[in-house]
Amino acid sequence: MKSYIICLFLIFPFIANSQILKGTVYGNNESGKEPLPGVNIYWQGTNIGIASDTDGNFKIKKRKNQHMLVFSFVGYETQVVHISGAEPVTITLEPNLKLGEVTVTKKDRGTYLSTINPIHTERITGAELTKAACCNLAESFETNPSVDVSYSDAISGAKELKLLGLAGIYSKLQKENIPNMGGLATSYGLTYIPGPWMESMQVSKGTSSVLNGYESITGQINVEYKKPDSNEKLHLNLFSSASGKLEFNGNTNFKIVGDTLTTGLLVHAENLYNEIDHNNDSFLDEPVIKQFHILNRWKYQNFKGHMAQAGIDLLFEDRTGGQVGFDKDKGNTLNNLYGVNINTARAEAFFKTGYVFPSQSTAIAFLSNFYYHDQKSFYGLNDYNADESKLFMNLILTVDLDKYAFHTINTGASFIYNKFNEELKTTNRLFLLSRNENIPGLFAEYTYKPNLLFTAMVGFRSDFHNQFGTILTPRMHLRYSPDNKLVFRASVGKGYRSANVLAENIFLLASSRSLNWEDANYLENAWNYGISLVQNYTLFDKALQINTEFYRTDFIDQLIIDRESSETEVLLYPLDGKSYANSFQVDLKYELIKNFDLVLAYRLNDVKQTIGDKLKEKALTSRYKGLITLNYTTNLKKWMFDYTVQFNGGGRIPVYGVQPNLDDEFSPYTIMNAQVTKYFRGWNIYLGSENLAGFKQKNPILGANDPFGPNFDATTIWGPVKGRRIYVGLRFTLNN
Amino acid sequence: MNKIIILLVVIFAGSFISESVAQEKKTKTVCFKSNMDCANCENKLNEYLKFEKGVKALKVDYVSNTILIEYKNGKNSDEGLAKSVEKKGYKIEKISLEEYKKLVAASQEETSKKSN
Repeated sequence: MKSYIICLFLIFPFIANSQILKGTVYGNNESGKEPLPGVNIYWQGTNIGIASDTDGNFKIKKRKNQHMLVFSFVGYETQVVHISGAEPVTITLEPNLKLGEVTVTKKDRGTYLSTINPIHTERITGAELTKAACCNLAESFETNPSVDVSYSDAISGAKELKLLGLAGIYSKLQKENIPNMGGLATSYGLTYIPGPWMESMQVSKGTSSVLNGYESITGQINVEYKKPDSNEKLHLNLFSSASGKLEFNGNTNFKIVGDTLTTGLLVHAENLYNEIDHNNDSFLDEPVIKQFHILNRWKYQNFKGHMAQAGIDLLFEDRTGGQVGFDKDKGNTLNNLYGVNINTARAEAFFKTGYVFPSQSTAIAFLSNFYYHDQKSFYGLNDYNADESKLFMNLILTVDLDKYAFHTINTGASFIYNKFNEELKTTNRLFLLSRNENIPGLFAEYTYKPNLLFTAMVGFRSDFHNQFGTILTPRMHLRYSPDNKLVFRASVGKGYRSANVLAENIFLLASSRSLNWEDANYLENAWNYGISLVQNYTLFDKALQINTEFYRTDFIDQLIIDRESSETEVLLYPLDGKSYANSFQVDLKYELIKNFDLVLAYRLNDVKQTIGDKLKEKALTSRYKGLITLNYTTNLKKWMFDYTVQFNGGGRIPVYGVQPNLDDEFSPYTIMNAQVTKYFRGWNIYLGSENLAGFKQKNPILGANDPFGPNFDATTIWGPVKGRRIYVGLRFTLNN
Repeated sequence: MNKIIILLVVIFAGSFISESVAQEKKTKTVCFKSNMDCANCENKLNEYLKFEKGVKALKVDYVSNTILIEYKNGKNSDEGLAKSVEKKGYKIEKISLEEYKKLVAASQEETSKKSN
C-alpha cells in the first residue's frame, strides 16, 4: 500500500437515523484486492461522512435526496458513485500513481477501530449544537433526550449533569478521549467547555470500553474540540443575553507546513455582569461571572502513518453570588452580607501521538494529559481552598489478528497520578485533607466481528490503586443487526470511582448545615446492565427511527449523601443496603414533512437508595422526562427554527423529620426553549429564549431572610432557578 | 411572555406562507455547464449561490459539472447568475434543461459503472 491514514483514539460510531447503506471498500494494489480501512466516505456536498472500518466495511445513512457517494483515500483515486437503492455496494479504489497531486481530504476521520460500534452511542454534531444558545457544555443538552442538566445550588451557579437518572459523577466526562472535569472541576466544570469550541460530542450509555479506565458507571460523554487541520479558517461568535451576559468565542487555524503541521487557537471570554433578583428574595438569581479561557493546539501528520497532537489550555474564572449588594472585598464576615465566591485557575497540557504500521493491521497510540487546578473560595462563612494535580497517561496497542480483522485485540497500560490538597475552614473547625492517588493499570479488550451483522467485545482491566488495592473491571458488549432495520445491543460491566468527599459536594456548604463525613476515602463500585433496540423504518418515504432502551445500575459500594437524618448536618457515609437506578427510554425521530424534523422522547427514572436504614427514592430527581423537539429548516437553509419542550416529572424533596412548612414533594413542570436562526453568506444571527414560559422553582433559597441563621439552605434545588432568558448571538465563519 | 409566543408562532407561520407563496409565484430555472473539478469547489459555489438574490433552489454537481438554479422571476436574471458563477472563477456555458438532464444522467451512469 502506498499510503494510509492514521485515525486513532476513537471508538465512536455512527448511529443511523434514516435508511442505511452498507458496503465494503477495497483497494487494488500489488498484492491484489484488499479491504481498505480508513477510507473517507461522504455524501457529496455535505459534511455527513464516515470512514471505513478495519476490514473496509462501512455503513452510512442515506437520505432521500442523497445519491452521490464520495470515496477518497490518500494514495487512491477519489471515486464518486451514484447510489440508487439501498443494496450493499462494493467499491474498488485504484491507486493514484501521482501521489503528489492527491488532494488530501480535510475531514477529520473520527473512526479507526470500528464504525460499527457495539456500544450504544449517540453522536452530537456541531450542527445540532447550533440549535440552542449553547454557551457551554452545560447548555448543550437541551435538545437531547438522554442527558439532564440541573442546578446544584441556587447561589453559585453550579450545574450537574445526569445520565440514566444518576448524578454526573457516575458518568465519565472526556475531552478527546482523555478523562477530564472530575475532582475539583466537578461542580463548575461543565461551564469550562465553550459550546462554539466543540466540533462534536459522543454520548454513550451503559458500561463503556475498558480502554479509558475503570470509571464511567452509567456512561460516557466525550467532547471533541475543533481541530487545527479543519476546513474552518476563522470562526467568531458573539452572544448577549437580556439578563446581562456578554460572551465572545473565536477560533482560528494556521497551516505552518502545509497540511503536515497545523495549529489552532481557541479563545473564550465571558462576562455576566448584571445583578438581578427577579424573585425578590434578596439573593442574586445567578452569580456574576468573569471567565477567560484560551487553548492553543498543534497537530502533526506525515500522511505515512504518524500523527501527533499537543496543546495547552488556560482558564481563569471568578464567580460571585449571594445577596444583592454583597461586597466581595469586605470578605466573608458577619458584618458583610451573605456571599459566595469561587476563584479558579486551571492549566492543562496534552500530548497524543499515534502510529499505524505499514501492514495496516497494527496501530499504537499514546495519550497523555496533565492539569493543575486551583480553587480559592468561600461559601458564606466557610472557606474552602484547594488544589489538584492530575497526570493521565494511556498507551494502547491495536492488533488485527487476521487479515480481515475478524479478531481484534486492544491492549495497553495506563497510569494516573492524582493529588489533592484541601483546606476547609468553618466557623469553629479547620479540616485539612490531602490525598494522593497512584494508579498503574493494565487492560485488554478483544473484539470478534465475523461479519457486519454481529460484534462481540469483551474487555478486562486490572488497576493497582495505592489506597484501594487491586481493582478488577470486566466489561462486555454485544451487537446484533439481523438486517438494515434493526440493531440490538446488550452490555454489562463494572465501574468504579474514588469519591472526593469535599470537592464534589462543596456546593452543599451554601446552607447552614455542615458536612459530616466518616472517612475521606471511598471507592464506589457498581454494575451496569443495559439493552437497547434501534429500529429504522421508512414511513411515507421518510426515515423513522425508534430507539428503545433499558439500563440498570446496581451499587455495591456508594457514598451516600444524607440530607434528611440530621437537622444540622449533611451526613456522608458508606451505603449499607440497596442502591439502584432503573432507566427506561423510548425516543423517536421522524421527518414529519419536508425539512421539518420531529423528536419525541420519554424516559422513566426509578432511582432508589438506602438512606439511614430505609430504601428511599433518590431526592431531587424527576420521576420521568418527556421531550419534544421540532426543527424546521427552509429549503436552502437560510432560516432555521427550533423549538424544544421538556416535561419533567415530580419527585421527592429531602426534609428533616417533620417540618410542617416544607413540602416533601415537588410537582411536574415544563420548560420550553425556542430559537430562530437566519443564515447569510458567511455568517448567521440567532435569537432565542431559554425557559420561554419562565417557570421557576419557588423559594429556591430557604431561610433567605436570615442567611446566617439555622434554617438557611440554598441547596435543595429541583427545578430552574432562572426565569426566561432571551438571548441573541452572531456567528461568523470563514472556510478555507 | 405571551407576546413572545405569539411572535414566534407568527414567524413560524410566516416562513411556511412565504414558502408556499414563493412556489405560486413564477420561478425561473436556468442551467449551466461548468469546469469545476473538486468537491470543495462544489461546496463553495453552493454556499455562494444560495445567497444570491432570488435563488430558491439550487443543484451544483461537480461530477457532471453542472449547475441548476431556480430563482424568483424578476429578482435576478440568467445573466446575473452567470456572472456570479464567473466571479467565483469558473467558466460556464448556459444550457437547456434537457441538455442538463442528459449530462446528469450520463454522469450518473458512468459513476455507477465505475462501482461495478
